[in-house]
Amino acid sequence: MTEFLTLVVVGLGTYAMRAAFLVGKEAKPPKVLERYLPHVAPAVLAAIAAPALVAPRGEISLTETLPALIAAAATWLVWTKTQQMALALIAGLGLWWLILFGLSFVA
Amino acid sequence: MTDLPRVHPVRDGVRDALTVVIAYIPFGLALGATLASLNVDPFVAWTSSPLIVAGASQLVSVQLLSEGAAPVIVVITALVVNSRHLLYSASLAPYWRDWGRGTRAGGAYFLADPMYALAIARYEGKAEDSTARLRYYLAMSFVTWAGWMILTGAGVLLGAVLPESLPLELAAPLTFLLLLLPTLKGRPAYVSAATAGIVAIIAAPLPLGLGLIAAAIVGMIAGALTERMQAA
Repeated sequence: MTEFLTLVVVGLGTYAMRAAFLVGKEAKPPKVLERYLPHVAPAVLAAIAAPALVAPRGEISLTETLPALIAAAATWLVWTKTQQMALALIAGLGLWWLILFGLSFVA
Repeated sequence: MTDLPRVHPVRDGVRDALTVVIAYIPFGLALGATLASLNVDPFVAWTSSPLIVAGASQLVSVQLLSEGAAPVIVVITALVVNSRHLLYSASLAPYWRDWGRGTRAGGAYFLADPMYALAIARYEGKAEDSTARLRYYLAMSFVTWAGWMILTGAGVLLGAVLPESLPLELAAPLTFLLLLLPTLKGRPAYVSAATAGIVAIIAAPLPLGLGLIAAAIVGMIAGALTERMQAA
């Protein structure tokens, strides 16, 4: 029960942060933030993606980082050419598997 | 909207959401399986999906609970991890301005990473009225939400039988890369993303996921500075 209630509180707190600037009488971001808001999406999404792209399994090393970066580049390329998110993901993930498979013979 | 003769916000919302849900299959299943493997009742662990709707903090919360951490530690840690949602809230406020207060309050519940990423890409890319924006958001966020509930639930149920032969660790970061790409319009966005990415890698060892929020703030400042230099 304590565990469930803890999760409820985490959920309420998370909701409060999501709702913070949206549930007032008027939905208004704070004035001081205005200049920075256009950059929220690229900054936050890059901050989420980048560490896991250079160390997908928690380790930065040539055989871990390079294959992941090659797969990321392939994903980027396929998305630029096709605008198809699912296709780009499959291409990147598939290439990553191929490289890991190849490396398993070298190592 | 004379230059946009045919707009299908609901259809587009469902389509974009399904793409994200497909991309989330490995991550959702793996997260569910991990939740079920911890020392917390699997159903209680799964309720973090409808309660929190944010994968990383769900994992952190349940992991800490399973290690016997004090509830207050769990709450503080998870909320620091989730602090980026404050930025999402401020960022979408101008686009939700014309919605009713109750609608905004309801919409905020669904405002997780992929919902924010898809919504802001849509709003910045298409000049739609507030009704079309609402339709897109509702269709997109509900389908993504339902997908998350089902995938994490399936992961909890199938945890033990999922094959371990295929490594899937890269699926989640590639998905976020794909959510990032449509937001890269113009030099300030590239500078913002590159700066945030580099800082996030350097600051990754910081506790409580503080590296993420620190990197996001530095990236936003770099983007704003670039914009000002361009304007000068």
